[in-house]
Parts: sequence; C-alpha cells; structure tokens
Amino acid sequence: MSISRRKFLGWLGAAGLGTAFSSKALAATGKHLKGYPEGLGVLHDITRCVGCRSCEEACNRVNKLPEPEKPFNDKTVLEQKRRTTTKSYTVVNRYDIDKDNKSPVFRKTQCNHCLEPACVSVCFVKAFKKIPKGPVVYDPSVCVGCRYCMIACPFEIPTYEYDEPYVPTVVKCTMCAPKIEKGELPGCVEACPKEALTFGKRKDIIKIARKRIDKYPDRYIDHIYGEYEMGGTSWLYISKMPFNNIGMREDLGVTPAPLLTSGALSVVPMVIGLWPIFLAGIYGMTKRREKIAAQERAAAVETALSRADAESKNKLAAAMEKAKQEKEKALAKAEADKEKAVKDALAKAEDKDTEENPDA
Amino acid sequence: MLKNKSLALLTVVSIISILFITNAFSINKGSKINNEKKAGLILIDSMKQFGHLERPGVLFFHDKHVKSLRGKNKDCNTCHLKNDKRMSLKFKRIEDISRQETMDIYHNNCIDCHKKTTAAGEKSGPESCGACHIKNPSKLPSATRFGFDKSLHYRHTKNLENKCETCHHAYDKKMEKLFYAKGEEGSCRYCHGQKTKDRLLSMKLASHESCIDCHLKMEAQKKKAGPVDCISCHDAEKQGQIKKIAVVERINRKQPDIVMLSAGEKDTKSRMNFVPFDHLAHEKYNDTCRVCHHKEMKSCNKCHQLDSVKDGDWIALEQAMHNPDAKESCLGCHKTLKKEKNCAGCHASIPQRDPDNANCDKCHIKPFRKITKEKPEDLNKIAEKMLLKVKKKKAKTYSKDDIPEKVIIGKLSDKYEPVEFPHSKIIDAISSRIKKSKLATYFHGSKNTLCQGCHHNSPDSPKPPKCGTCHNKPFKKNNLFRPGIKGAYHIQCMGCHKEMGVEKPAGCIECHKEKELKI
Repeated sequence: MSISRRKFLGWLGAAGLGTAFSSKALAATGKHLKGYPEGLGVLHDITRCVGCRSCEEACNRVNKLPEPEKPFNDKTVLEQKRRTTTKSYTVVNRYDIDKDNKSPVFRKTQCNHCLEPACVSVCFVKAFKKIPKGPVVYDPSVCVGCRYCMIACPFEIPTYEYDEPYVPTVVKCTMCAPKIEKGELPGCVEACPKEALTFGKRKDIIKIARKRIDKYPDRYIDHIYGEYEMGGTSWLYISKMPFNNIGMREDLGVTPAPLLTSGALSVVPMVIGLWPIFLAGIYGMTKRREKIAAQERAAAVETALSRADAESKNKLAAAMEKAKQEKEKALAKAEADKEKAVKDALAKAEDKDTEENPDA
Repeated sequence: MLKNKSLALLTVVSIISILFITNAFSINKGSKINNEKKAGLILIDSMKQFGHLERPGVLFFHDKHVKSLRGKNKDCNTCHLKNDKRMSLKFKRIEDISRQETMDIYHNNCIDCHKKTTAAGEKSGPESCGACHIKNPSKLPSATRFGFDKSLHYRHTKNLENKCETCHHAYDKKMEKLFYAKGEEGSCRYCHGQKTKDRLLSMKLASHESCIDCHLKMEAQKKKAGPVDCISCHDAEKQGQIKKIAVVERINRKQPDIVMLSAGEKDTKSRMNFVPFDHLAHEKYNDTCRVCHHKEMKSCNKCHQLDSVKDGDWIALEQAMHNPDAKESCLGCHKTLKKEKNCAGCHASIPQRDPDNANCDKCHIKPFRKITKEKPEDLNKIAEKMLLKVKKKKAKTYSKDDIPEKVIIGKLSDKYEPVEFPHSKIIDAISSRIKKSKLATYFHGSKNTLCQGCHHNSPDSPKPPKCGTCHNKPFKKNNLFRPGIKGAYHIQCMGCHKEMGVEKPAGCIECHKEKELKI
C-alpha cells in the first residue's frame, strides 16, 4: 500500500516537471511582444559625434540635476571612461581607436529603452513601465529599493541614490518622457549640434539608419546596434567601428531579457500549484498512518488484555485447584491428625487407667 | 521514512529549477585570444596531409634558425636538400614520402641538432615533445603578401642588365620545357596559381625557390644580393623600408602611349563613343601593371566583351570599367582616389550612387570625326588627337566678383554670436588643391562643380538657394533623412574639416564667439 503511494507521488512530480520544461519559452509571458509599432526612438550616429558634451549639459538642465564638478566644456573629463550616475543620466565617452589617437570615436551612453526591458520584467512592484510612446519610465512611489533592475539591466544603466538617507530611488534616463508627451524633443536630441541624434518613430529611424549605411558604405559597418540586441531597443546606433571596440557588448544576443527568464519562472506556478498537493498528501499520509497506528495499538491492547485475562483466569483456576487440593490435603491431614489425636488420647487414657489400677 | 522521500523530491525539484534559472541567465562571453602575429615564423603542420594531427603543429622560428646557422658559416643545405637544380623548400627531404618517415625526419633531425648544440654549450632549442608542440602559442605566423612594383622591377632589370630571361619564361607543352618568349613577358601569376599542379609550381613555391635561390647564388658570387630571410619581404614594416626609385625607366612591353578603348575591332554593336585612354600617364600613376591588367598583359576587351563571357570571368566590359567596388575598374580606382585628403572633404559626403549619366561624356568623348572601320593603330592616333584637345581644359569656378567674399550666418544665433564665414577663402583653398591633380582638374570642368561640394542639389548659378531653403526644422516626419539647419551646418563644416585634416578652427568659439550674458 505504501509503495504505491510513493510511486503515485513520483509520477505526479515527474508530470509537473515535464510540463514545466517542455513549454519553457512561452509559459510565463504567454506571448512575444514585438514592441509598440508607433514607439519613438533615437538613432545615435556615432560617426557624427564629436564629443562636445552638449547632450550632457542639456540633460543636466532638463532634469534639473546638480551642477557637475567640472563644467561641460571641460574636455578633460573624456580622459576617463565614465558611466551613468545619479547625477548624470547620460555620458559621452571617448574611444581611441588608432594608435596615434588622430580620429577618436565618441559615443553617448544612456538608457536604451529596450522594447522588452529587463528592468521592467524583474520589478515585482511594477515601478518600471514601458510606455507605448517608447520610454521606459519609473515610478519612485512604489519602488522598494531592491535594485533588481540594476542587476538585470544588460547595459548597466540604472543607478541608485546611495547617498540619499531617507528615500533613495533608482535613477536613469527617462528619454524625456514628459517632454515627448508635450510633443517636444528629448533634451539631448535638441541640443546636439551635429544631429548625431535623430529622433522619430523607431520604425522610421531604422529606415534612416539603413539608408545611411546604403548611401555611405565606407562610413558605416553594416549593423544597426539595437535593432535586434536584447530583443530590440528604442535607442539605435550606427558606427564605423565594430561596436565591441567602442565599449558596446556584442555578446548579448537577440533574445529579450524577459524571455530568458520566462522558462525558469514558468516553473514557479507549477511549484506553487504542486505545493498544496504535496503538503496535503503528506498531511493525509501522516493522518492515515496515525489512524492505523491507533487502531493497531487498540487491537494489540485488546489482545494483550484478553490474553492477560485468560492467563489470570488460568492462574486463578490453577491456584484455586491447588488451594482446593491443599485444602483437601489439609482437611485430610487434619482429619488424620484428629483421628490420631483421638486415638492417642484414648490410648493415653487407657495407659493412665492401668497405671492407677495396676491390679485391675 | 515516507516523509523523508517526499522532502528529497521537493529538494530535487528546487535544485533543478535553480540550475535552470542560473543557466538561463548566464550569457556566454566570447573569449578573445590575442596572439601576436609575426613574419619569420612558420607553422609546421606537414603531417596534416597524412590525416589528422596527433599533436598541435610546431611553431618554427625560421629567421632565428637562419641567423644562427649563418653565424656558424652554415648554409641552407643544413636543412634543405637540393634536387637537380634547386633547393627544396621542404625540411631535409625533396618529396614527402610516408607518414612515419616524414615524422621521423623532423623528430630525428631537429632533436638531434638541438642536443648537439646544447652539448657544445650553446643556446639551443627544445628537446621535449611539449616544448615544440604547443597548443596555443603566444605568437602566430603571418606573412604580408609581397609583390614586385615598378621600382623593384627596375632595380632587378638594371642589376641583371636587362636579361629578362633570368626570371621570365614560358612553357612549351610539346617539348615539356621552359623557354624564354621575348616580347611576351607577363606577371608570374600568368601561370603560377594558388596551388601546385603537377610540374606547375604554385606562386608561393615558384617565387621562394627562384628568388631565394638567385639571391643565394648572387651572394656566393659576392655580388649585391637580395634578402634570404622571411621578414625582409613579408613584414609589413620592412616592406615599407625597401628602397624606392622615384623615376624609373618605362617597362617596355610594346604597349601604346595612348589607346582607344573600345569593345573590340570586330564589334560593331557598341553604341557608346570610344574612350581615348592615356596609357602612358596611367603607367606613371600606378606601381604595377597588375593593378589594371590582372595577370595577363592583354587589352581589356580581349576578355571583357560587350556580353559577359567565360573568358572575362562573366564580367562584361561595362562592369569591368564601371564597377565602383572593383579596384581594377576605372571608376573603382578613381573612387579610391576620391578618398584622399584633398578630395575627401567634399567627396566623403557625396553618397555612393550608380555612374551618373551626366558624366558619361567625360570619358566617352565625342570624336571630332565619324569613326567607321579604322585599324587599331589609326584609332589610337585619333585618340591621341582627342586627348590633346581635352588636356587643354582647365578647372573652372565663378570669378570672385560673382560670389560673396564673406557670408554672415546668424539665423540660428542664440548662445553664440553669428559666424563670419570666409566664403572666398574656402573656395580658393579647395580650388588650389584641385589644380594640383590632373584628374580633379579634368572632372571639375564646369563652373558649378566645385560649388556643389557645399551647395549640393542646387542648379548651376552663382546665386544658389540658401541652405535654409531646404534645411530648416529637424526630424520632419516626411523627411527624417534631411538634417535640420543647425545639423546641416555642423555636419557639413566639421565633416569636411575632419576629412581634409584641417585642424583649425577647433572648438565652438573659434567659429562663433560666445555671447556675453546680459545682466
């Protein structure tokens, strides 16, 4: 009986795992988003960027960020590779490609506003959201500060206000969502003097990128970064240099981040679904075992009792018999003793008579 | 007991899920191997021909060995055997025989010599297996391809007193013999291809055997000799150091000075005007004949005909002349010239397009008289006359009175003062560069051509439309490709300055001064 129960549970577990792994890709998300067709985006033409940092300045002004240590026209900051911080949502870095540094390459970094963002998928309070217009926006009021978004982002963009003692928030480029809503250009795009940033519908700027690559085959490598990377991003890049050489990861693949985890996450409901069955099973089994044990115990007690009863009866009977016999023995003995005593007394009495009357 | 089993199952489920999650998150990072590539090294993998290699190939430092052996007055024969005429390039053998024998030749001879050298108390190579057979060596062999140019050819012909037969030969199939065919000399690549076929050696073998053999012979005769080590020919840096003779005698192969390019004598289908071509001038512009002629010194139309045929590798005459991506074609070569600093300022921003029909007559010149059925010699004479006329043409621009000397660009002025644009000065700078080049002079023949560099897509006029006519607000929905006015100015000016290597003005304020803040 117990073996068949075990087998049954084994099958149940196997079936659960089987369903979890066979449909890993779509189990959690249910569908593969293709992005918002009317979503906006920005094309960063790296060949046009001259590293003037106008975009950084505009970003600072639009987002009312604190004044930087070194002014924006100080080009010495380009000596070091910088990343986005809580005080600068975008940074321009210089890459010295050729030996004599004659034609350095400048590249702007900011949130790429993925079509299927990793930060959105990991946020369990839905503080991040991809809005149909294109930007990935953040709601600090619900953020619990777990910083999963920072770990999840393949481009290492979100930053955290570690120096904020009371209500620290996650900070990143907003693609100037409030300005876009008003029909204005994002701050950086508006400021770029060389139009290294082209703003428009993502589907349109992809065409622009293609057109530039076609028209100037010597100026660009045939690749639009962000068209498919991590499932596609709203910010796109074209360059003369391979993207690997200018600090952009080319190993990310084309799978959107949520899809990477959906397989694993799809197991979660299965596990959650299985838990009650497991626990109920265990509970049931324990209960049943207890019940059987009680029954068995009762039976054992009964038999033991009955056996003890019989034994005691036997013993009693034997004792009675023995007592009876002893009684009879004693009685017989007593009778014999009595007779003997009487006989003795009679004999004594006869002896006494003869002594007293020896002539008699 | 049962409870324990159930717990174990749950643990397995959770472990599998965790493994699965971590696996899903891990993204492979491509590993990079940065091996230094160097000339003078050879990867010995001769055993490959016998099937799969048991151990990795051996990186052999050829130049080091040559240097060391020469120091001991030993010659190439130490390692290379000689067949009837020439030195074999293989190690200690003329031909590869069997797997075991070839392997033994290497193992016995290499290790033996290394041991002897070590025993003699000198620095020597490794003797253990793993020291030679290294899986990922830090250096890798590389050889920059080497070829003769006009200068080197001239130095050889001069030193060999015009004995062309020293190198040039042809093959008589019937007699199975090499012979010298005077007047038919061509590039070695004429016959010697990528791979050795029977007795016809590959280009690599033929050149190594002939060049090094000759250099060694010259050295033995104590004459001026070329190098015998690897890097002198195959190191990119060393190649640049080879002595160049600026003015060389023209290679005489009975080629014409000026030739009329046509689809061929018999071809009457061609509807384009023939092209008079200055062969002599183009010889001067190029380092080798191969640049245009591939390997055979034939006229183009012998292989590239109006229709694509097999002889011309299925490339028709039109493509052979006009393909912008082929370095041998007219347009392809001219395109690379447009990338030079002096030209790139304007030309880098001109999008690649199909040959412009407006420019056809630049090359397909209308002849001064009708050409019917002339002999090639006569055609060439006509071409000569046509070119004489063409050569008189000069680059044109509008006269200074017609164009503004300075232009104030102030429409956008906001943070900065308006720009004082030195219009005349810029035109002078560009036209002086054009005048230096014959090609540029010829192709900038119309008054408007030069102006088109900035005033693109504008009609021929000394007063073209203003930039703002077409370029205004950026990112217009129906014309995203066209930059806005601010972008257009910056892209045009800065793009040109960068391409031409003009370092000044640098920074924003050298073009437009910063406005003083009004308090």
